[in-house]
Amino acid sequence: MVLLIDSINAIRDFLDTGGQVLLVIGVLIFAMWLLILERFIYFFKGFRSYKQNVKAQWKNRAERNSWNAEQIRQAMISRAGMRLNTNLALINVMVALCPLLGLLGTVTGMIEVFDVMAITGTGSARSMASGVSKATIPTMAGMVGALSGVFASTFLQRRAKREVELLEDNMVLDH
Amino acid sequence: MKLFTQMTKVALFAASLSFVGTSVAAEPMDLDSLLKTLEEGKSAQSVQNKQREQEFAARQNEQVQMLKNTQAKRNQMLVESERLETQFEENEIKLANLTDTLSKRMGSLKELFGVLQQVAGDSSNKFATSVVSAEIAGRSTFMDELAQKMGSTSKLASIEDIEKVWFELQREMTEQGKVSRFNTDVIVQGGEKAQQEVVRVGAFNLISNGKYLEFNPVTNTLSELNRQPVARFTATADELQNTKNGVVQFALDPTGGSILGLLVQAPDTQERVHQGGTVGYVILGVGVIALLISFERFFSLMVMGGKIRRQLKDDVARDDNPLGRVMKVKDQFPDVAHDTLELKLSEAILREMPKVTRNLTLIKIISVVAPLLGLLGTVTGMINTFQAITLFGTGDPKLMAGGISQALVTTVLGLVVAIPTVFLYTLLNTRAKNILLTIQEQSAGIIAQRSEKGA
Repeated sequence: MVLLIDSINAIRDFLDTGGQVLLVIGVLIFAMWLLILERFIYFFKGFRSYKQNVKAQWKNRAERNSWNAEQIRQAMISRAGMRLNTNLALINVMVALCPLLGLLGTVTGMIEVFDVMAITGTGSARSMASGVSKATIPTMAGMVGALSGVFASTFLQRRAKREVELLEDNMVLDH
Repeated sequence: MKLFTQMTKVALFAASLSFVGTSVAAEPMDLDSLLKTLEEGKSAQSVQNKQREQEFAARQNEQVQMLKNTQAKRNQMLVESERLETQFEENEIKLANLTDTLSKRMGSLKELFGVLQQVAGDSSNKFATSVVSAEIAGRSTFMDELAQKMGSTSKLASIEDIEKVWFELQREMTEQGKVSRFNTDVIVQGGEKAQQEVVRVGAFNLISNGKYLEFNPVTNTLSELNRQPVARFTATADELQNTKNGVVQFALDPTGGSILGLLVQAPDTQERVHQGGTVGYVILGVGVIALLISFERFFSLMVMGGKIRRQLKDDVARDDNPLGRVMKVKDQFPDVAHDTLELKLSEAILREMPKVTRNLTLIKIISVVAPLLGLLGTVTGMINTFQAITLFGTGDPKLMAGGISQALVTTVLGLVVAIPTVFLYTLLNTRAKNILLTIQEQSAGIIAQRSEKGA
């Protein structure tokens, strides 16, 4: 219990030194990783059974040669692709937004520094320090978020593309 | 004698003047009678002069007597002055001896008084700014007086004074460790005075009614800070005031109010937005437009998606959604070949496309333009700053602050508009793309499935 309170206080202090932008970045990174994890689970669990199902449906067709069959195959593959690509664009955008939010934090922090300078002059480095920490911590957090997300999102995109290709290869037309 | 001749001359002149005067007034006389008159006058004057001479001679004795008297007085004064001078010298020697004795007798006490003066001066300053003075007033005046008294050479501090300095220092120390309550006048927001219960936390903070107070040492008044810290800090202040005993968490300003003082001077969000100037308002306007378009798109795409999902489950093609309209092509041309059907389908899809992707490009453009506008604001702000530098030099950072805050605020506004717009654009674009994919790739598939079922 004490450990929990301590860690909550530590997080609160960290958010205080980083300012409001840090909170937004935190929420964004959290949402991004939730989506990424959901995708991972779907790729390795849910999609497998769906793939088997689609393949079986195709195999069980009486004829796989006519115009109708080709259109139906296309629709099946496109449906699978849509399932695979759900939220991937969103994850990508979130990764791209992380450094932008970091920049936002930098600028708001600099504004605070200049405010302090306008009030107290350049003499007091101590009163400028809070603005400087608000400028640097969100930048760092944005970088961390973007770097952690960029690998996951690239992996997911390549995986989705490959799965669609594999599906296309597996569902052959009879000639 | 010289004086005398002069006087006669003057008298002569006066007589001639009077003669001229009468000659003008009376009838003109001939020159002989004038001569006669002059002669008579001369004889009359010489009689008068003789008489005067006698008078002066008689007075001479008197003058001699007066001179003698005055000389005697002077001699007396000289003697007196000599006496006083010797006494002054004697006194001087006596004074020097006494001062010597004084400094000898004071010895190490002299250092003590020096220290006392210094301590009194220091603590006078400290007491004036300490928040403890809000509760116990008038301490710094005593210290001030004592410091002045010690500064003059002729006065010494009494034991009572020394003990009072000790007492005041001890009291300040004791009060620093206390949380105390007292009633006093507080200037509340709006400038009115009100009698309130004030809680003093050591020498650090003053709070009243859950609000932090500011102590003004010049006017010796308490006033509410017109900008309070965030709610979770003022909540602890409230808690502290309401508790009667026990331990309470409290947010303390260890600098004794200077951090809280900075809080008052920092501008709030609204003032900040105004600092952005014209460019800032333009960015905000563009952002509002993007937001409105996004909402309109969001709802229409949602409705469209719902109708398409219903259409996917339903076999009968409906007119109220894009997929239904494309599927109707099959019903319109029941007997055409596959190739022709495909062409007709893609034609119908092309017709639906603009309805789905309407305005999305505009949102994308705004998401790109907003940071660019921010950059524009940054540059204009920097121009202002450099103009200020040209006019006033770099000496005063306060003069440059306006331009710099404009530069930074517009950048912030650009990012604040761009970030959600990019987000919304992606969201809407994915939706629109999914709808198009459904129409493009599935309409043919659905038609194929249905024709198989029918066959």
